[in-house]
Amino acid sequence: MSRPAFSPEGLTLGISLVAMGVLWTLSNLGQVDLLYTLRTWWPVTLVLWGGLELVDLAIRRAASREP
Amino acid sequence: MSARKIGFLILILVFGAVVETAWSVRENRFYFGPEGLRILGGRFYGPSFTFEESTERAVSGDQELEIEVRNSFGNVRILPGEGASVRVDLRKVVFRPTEEKARAFAERVELRFEEEDGRVRISTNRNDVPGRDKVGFETHLDVHVPATAKAVVGNDHGSVEVSGIARAEIKASYGDVHVERIEGPVSIEARHGDVHATELGAELSLESRHGDVEVVGVTGHSTLDVQHGALTVRRSATFEAKAFHGAFAAESVGGDLTLEARHAGAVIADVAGSVDVQTSYESVRLERIGGNVTARVEHGSVRAEGVKGALTAETTHDGVWLDGVSGRVEVAVRGGGVEARELKGGAHVRSRGDVSIDGFGGTIDVETESGDILLKPGRPITEPVTASARKGAVRLEVPAGSRFALEAESRHGELVLDVPELESSSGNGRITGTMGGGGATVLLTADEDVTVAPGGSALPAERP
Repeated sequence: MSRPAFSPEGLTLGISLVAMGVLWTLSNLGQVDLLYTLRTWWPVTLVLWGGLELVDLAIRRAASREP
Repeated sequence: MSARKIGFLILILVFGAVVETAWSVRENRFYFGPEGLRILGGRFYGPSFTFEESTERAVSGDQELEIEVRNSFGNVRILPGEGASVRVDLRKVVFRPTEEKARAFAERVELRFEEEDGRVRISTNRNDVPGRDKVGFETHLDVHVPATAKAVVGNDHGSVEVSGIARAEIKASYGDVHVERIEGPVSIEARHGDVHATELGAELSLESRHGDVEVVGVTGHSTLDVQHGALTVRRSATFEAKAFHGAFAAESVGGDLTLEARHAGAVIADVAGSVDVQTSYESVRLERIGGNVTARVEHGSVRAEGVKGALTAETTHDGVWLDGVSGRVEVAVRGGGVEARELKGGAHVRSRGDVSIDGFGGTIDVETESGDILLKPGRPITEPVTASARKGAVRLEVPAGSRFALEAESRHGELVLDVPELESSSGNGRITGTMGGGGATVLLTADEDVTVAPGGSALPAERP
């Protein structure tokens, strides 16, 4: 098994933390409704993670074919 | 899958569950009643004790009396009483762990009875009872009024029953409504509950959301607006109805019927007058209609049987079935076929599928795309017949004694004439001829075969 190109869950967690921090800040500034936004968009985390897993898999398969 | 990924998945799902729960709490989707008493379906649950009291007052009987009853969390019944008096039976149900505590609270719940200018207002001090936020309690009212009175009732979280009086106006939510034997006009607005209106002597105006509605024996004109529930009407006079997201059924209607529906099927039988119905995503079935019929259905079919007047049917994505129409038929079908029997007044059909008419009289004009046409007249042909099939064939059966002039054309198929009495000449894919000395024009055109054969409908001339 080749070494992962990157950690999908690590990347997902990082992007999610950044997004949450931005949202929380915007909420504190009165720009967005934090709960409504989180409730609407939290499933995107799963989409993001799944997408990154597929990208990671493709990269590893391509790498394993190289001589 | 590694333990790390499983853990991360659980983390995301737990986060989502927390967010969804917080949202539900903010939107009041979880509601806990006083002292933890859970309110389910608009009712309190838990140990309770019942206390009753009655009040009777004489009222002025020289004018129409209006009785206004306001209540919540309890049932209201309006009944005909005796003489010129109003009697109120109040039943208080208090949800407390002991009878002593319940009685102490019940003594604070009082009936309010006010009379002015021919209007009586009946309610309770529910909103002013000390400690009401911490105790669940119901107030059930039985109000006995003069039979000539008008009742105006507003009730939340409890049923409403009104019977045997002159007029009624009802607004109710989270409870069923029963109205019967009212001589004058009745108005009902109901939310989250079923409605039963029976034996009403005048007009009915009804609006319902989230509940089934049954209307029986209304002698006046009815206006019905029902959403998210089934609507059933029986033994009633003329009415107009809206039925969205449910089902509609009507039987024994003494006048005209107009229905505007969406996402609702309709079954209509035994209507003395005309029927005008439109709906979508479900089908319409009509039986024994005394007047004209207009039916428009999107994404659904129309079936009609025993129509004494004219019929107009338009459908998309499904077909039309007709059996026994006395008047003129106009049919337009997009995405379906037409199958008809006994069309006595002729027909004008536009279709995108097979068309079959077995037993017809009068002028026939049929045009279809991607389908065949089969025509079996119910009597000798003496009136014009036109049939045109694109990407399909045409077959006309000719009864003995017919008199017509024929023009037939097949663009890519064969022309088959199998009627010995038909004198014809052919050429260039066309045939012309006459039968019985000529008369009405019979024009048959098809991309595929055109067949003219002896025969006709095997249906009896007059069905019972």
